[in-house]
Amino acid sequence: MSRDVIVQQILNGISLGGVYALEAVGFGIVFNILKFSNFSHGGVVTICAYFGFFISTRFIPSLWGSLAVTILFGGVIGILVEKLVFRPIRIQNKPLTYFFVNSITVAMIVQQFFSALWGSNYYPFPAFIKETVFQLGKLVVSKSYLLMLSMSAAVLIALSLFLRRTKTGIAIRAASSDIHTPALMGVNTDFIVSITFCIAGILAGVTGFFLGMTYTVTPFIGSMILKGIIASIIGGMGSLGGGVIAGVLLGAMESLLIAEVGASITPIIIYFAIIILLMVRPQGIAGKLYSVKA
Amino acid sequence: MFYSKVLETTLIFSIFVLSVYPLSGLTGLFSLGQGAFIAIGAYTAAIGTLQYKLPPAISMVLAIGIGILGGVIVGVPTLKLRRDYFLLITFGFSEMVRALLLWMAQLTGGAMGIAGIPYAAGLPLIAVSAAFIFFLVANITKSGFRRNCIAIRDDELAAQAIGINVYWHKIKVFILSASISAYGGALYAFNMMFIEPNLFDWLESAKLIIIIFVGGMNSLLGVFLMSVIYYTFGEVFRFASIWRDLILGVLVIVVLIFRPQGLFGTMKKK
Repeated sequence: MSRDVIVQQILNGISLGGVYALEAVGFGIVFNILKFSNFSHGGVVTICAYFGFFISTRFIPSLWGSLAVTILFGGVIGILVEKLVFRPIRIQNKPLTYFFVNSITVAMIVQQFFSALWGSNYYPFPAFIKETVFQLGKLVVSKSYLLMLSMSAAVLIALSLFLRRTKTGIAIRAASSDIHTPALMGVNTDFIVSITFCIAGILAGVTGFFLGMTYTVTPFIGSMILKGIIASIIGGMGSLGGGVIAGVLLGAMESLLIAEVGASITPIIIYFAIIILLMVRPQGIAGKLYSVKA
Repeated sequence: MFYSKVLETTLIFSIFVLSVYPLSGLTGLFSLGQGAFIAIGAYTAAIGTLQYKLPPAISMVLAIGIGILGGVIVGVPTLKLRRDYFLLITFGFSEMVRALLLWMAQLTGGAMGIAGIPYAAGLPLIAVSAAFIFFLVANITKSGFRRNCIAIRDDELAAQAIGINVYWHKIKVFILSASISAYGGALYAFNMMFIEPNLFDWLESAKLIIIIFVGGMNSLLGVFLMSVIYYTFGEVFRFASIWRDLILGVLVIVVLIFRPQGLFGTMKKK
């Protein structure tokens, strides 16, 4: 295989990796605060993908308009899920297992709900951008991939600024290392948890929109966050920066492998590599190992 | 005839639920890859009988063996780590097994699945197996083994401090669960006579966990009742089978908020 093809594949992979990075961060930010694996994130992604589809075909036939509305909607859904499903067990101080069971339940409800209503149909997004390509030397960059990559980067940079520069962001980071202590410093923990779910929902909105745009909208689109979750493991659970790096790496590796050895064996190699990685270096790239604390 | 078919299906799925119970209900470990062990059992049994002309009984034993092997491969590296790693890796493992089944098309039939498996598991065998596994799990839940499980579930650090070998105990529970799942999978293959890679996805594994929590994680009988109700309902009202999952989902959220001991469970106050 020539070098150009390899570089081309890596380039494509990085754009897809941008979406994996969004998923990894959306998954990781809730893990950081509440320390449970939030599978409901996949459900929110599915809801947002359907919402983005309906809004863009029925009401706002423009890319930026429908993307913005989907993002806002995602944030609202994130808050709703938190208030309805997680807050009641959080104020009762229930064990972490309950949070997890509720989160897979939300994922299941969403998937089965959309299967029951519109399961038999596939919904392709309208073609917002004419499938044009840029020529960069010998490389070909598709416009929609470029858009995906730049939007993912913009969202992640905005999030990083928010977490570092604003008071709320700093409170979220404080709550990540320990959720109880900031409450003693006058931080409203309930509000922080809501905002965290809102951020995760916003990321889910972007993810759902892009996944719907790249593939088609099906009830199973939420299962695609598995890739993001895997990126989150490779990056080191709960490390947002590590998740971003790992997401991009995973995307690049995946499309390279697909080109090199074929699409059917690629997932086998990737999952096997992850099991090996966990044996050798469970803390992931970022080197932060979460263990059970007293 | 129809009702005996319903009973067979219900009992096979109840065996799956029973196999997850020691793992999720007692030890608090969640495996989203239980479907993978079911698939491993089913495929080993089918391939053993069809391709290697082994008698069904031997294929079943082989299925259990390969299930245990899979449990060791997944369990040994991940059970040392925090529970979430275990959960996510089992999820990845189930996707890997699905991809493997699709990839090894010559052996497994790929996406077409395997049809024409001999019918070797009728109602008597299934009923006896379900009863045996119920009593096996019930005996476990009366022993010191169970107390160790619950100690690990409630506070891993404290369990370690009083001298339970947490890692080893988790491996034992996981392998027990994997082997029962694989056996159930073999029964499934010999009963349904047709299997395909997408039968047991992560959602199926998630449902097993959800049923345990609705039934009550401290009550084996409650869990068994819940799984019988759920799967009988699904078989009798085929047309409503998706809505049944929605009801189950709403039910588990309400139960966990208002009645955490489960519908049929009792909870001892600490």
